[in-house]
Amino acid sequence: MLAFRSITIISTMTILLLILSGKVSAVKTIIDQLGRHVTVPDQPLRVVSLAPSITEIVYALDQGHRLKGVTTYSDFPSEAIKLPKVGSYVHLDLEKIVALKPDLCIAIKDGNPRVIAQRLESLKIPVYAVDPNNLETVMKTVLEIGTLLNAKDQADRLVQMMDLRIQKVKSLVENVTHRPRVFFQIGISPIVSVGTHTFIHELIVIAGGTNLAAGPIPYPRFSREKVLSLSPEVIIITSMARSAAFEKVKAEWEKWPTMPAVRNQRIYLEDSNFFDRPSPRLVDGLELIIRMIHPELFKKIQ
Amino acid sequence: MNTKTPFLIKRVITASSLLILLLGFAMVLGISMGSTDSGIKDVFKNLMGIKEPESMLYTIIWQIRFPRVLLAALVGAALSLGGLVFQALLRNPLAEPYILGISGGSAIGAIIGILMGFSRFPGVSLTAFTGSILTLLLILAMSSGQTILKKDALLLSGVMVNAFCAAVIMFLVSMTQDSRLHNIIFWLMGDLSLVDMKHVGILAATLLPCFFLVFWLSNPMNLLLLGKEMAQTMGVNIKTVTFTLLVATSFMVSATVSYCGLVGFVGLVMPHLLRLVLGPDHRVLVPACVFGGGAYMVFCDLLARTLPKQGEMPAGVITAMIGAPLFIYLLKRTGK
Repeated sequence: MLAFRSITIISTMTILLLILSGKVSAVKTIIDQLGRHVTVPDQPLRVVSLAPSITEIVYALDQGHRLKGVTTYSDFPSEAIKLPKVGSYVHLDLEKIVALKPDLCIAIKDGNPRVIAQRLESLKIPVYAVDPNNLETVMKTVLEIGTLLNAKDQADRLVQMMDLRIQKVKSLVENVTHRPRVFFQIGISPIVSVGTHTFIHELIVIAGGTNLAAGPIPYPRFSREKVLSLSPEVIIITSMARSAAFEKVKAEWEKWPTMPAVRNQRIYLEDSNFFDRPSPRLVDGLELIIRMIHPELFKKIQ
Repeated sequence: MNTKTPFLIKRVITASSLLILLLGFAMVLGISMGSTDSGIKDVFKNLMGIKEPESMLYTIIWQIRFPRVLLAALVGAALSLGGLVFQALLRNPLAEPYILGISGGSAIGAIIGILMGFSRFPGVSLTAFTGSILTLLLILAMSSGQTILKKDALLLSGVMVNAFCAAVIMFLVSMTQDSRLHNIIFWLMGDLSLVDMKHVGILAATLLPCFFLVFWLSNPMNLLLLGKEMAQTMGVNIKTVTFTLLVATSFMVSATVSYCGLVGFVGLVMPHLLRLVLGPDHRVLVPACVFGGGAYMVFCDLLARTLPKQGEMPAGVITAMIGAPLFIYLLKRTGK
């Protein structure tokens, strides 16, 4: 009985949606970063961003007015905080997304559950998926979202700016002879660092450092002993929020003065949002990292 | 048994129709509430067809909330029935798929399936089924040797199997590096939020035959409760009946686990409550568990969706909070 009812409902909905989709006027079909064909409106006016990084990109392109919903932790820029929330990017609330009547959702491959994208599409809401996994693809993502939102000029300018700043950092470390050993701690308990295939590894290398945790595992775990044996010259600890716990971690490392990082007082605390979101702010992160790894380069300039 | 057939049919129909009414009420309530505020009034207007059907509310009600409510009803029905069958077969009032570790075994199978990149159906469902059968065999092997499955031996084996399963699950989760991890964790806690009509259809198609099969075997279950010799003289093929029921139950449990993770104690609460009201006749209890268990789960899911101000909690949290204290109470009472 119930199955029959559901079949009736599904078929009526399909017919209705077919009629509705006929009404949509200006659309274009594009291929997203996962190689899927997506039909999107020419002028998307009700965009829901499904990740904080996407929200940041949309605002950086001056297209914030198109956003009608963002995820819970979309906290940058501050305008984004006021927008309706559709759940966190790993646990999205389908009902809230649909209630915002989006004409486009921008999703991220790493994190957003695939089921959500499939369900949104079955409800005839186009989902454009991006898959940024290094600085280059972040810039590509910015350009693509620019095209998607009719902000090609802004996107070109933004990417040029990002590229310029990255080149500047690269030229600064060009003649550096010593590449300090960096331990980048993203998890406090357990101690977690970053492997080769992460944004942070790329940033460390560009900023003229050596990532002590380089390797095939993206987020390797470390024991305290292991970190001590690696004898890091710089320790960078990031956290979601600068809290008392954060300072405690620093104090914990300072018990081991044999480490060069402790001896030379080179333990830094930084906001993780600059490093783990594939958004234009990664370049800010890069400039922060080079100051931590090679402070001497900046003394010269002054 | 000693009840005359017309009287029995009347009792089955009365009990079932009352519980169907309850289920209907729960389902209407279920589609009336959600994370967006659209009051019951709007929903009723929509149900009566006053508003134009292409509205956003229509989509939310019929494509988001309705599949979820149906899923909850199916899961509740399957798990309650699972509890009822285990309690009858093992002659143990505390037996339940979650407590015995059958759900945990299915979850291990399902996680392995997910990590191997299988699709929800049939891949993950099959690995979950394999997991549940293996756990079932393990429990039966551990608690055999006793002539009758003693309450304590069985329960302890179940607890240990459950602990072992939990450890394996933790191992698998801690070994997982990628972004699927979050999804696995939410799913594990009993998440009903991500189903569409197609999946509900598949689940219904797998569960409904099992419901009928168990109902068909409800009289042999009654006779089994009288003791093995008694059942045998009444013409029950004990081995076939037990085997069929155990496999059907494991199948139902693993199907629900592969769709919405670990939802515990549902098989404890409803069978006990219904047995208290309706008496011990399984011919009445089986349909009652299907409808009552469905209604109970829809209510639990409704609480899970509406209690937190931000987001929602997994339905498994609610069922455990209600079920675990009841389990302790039952354990105390049967211990006397």
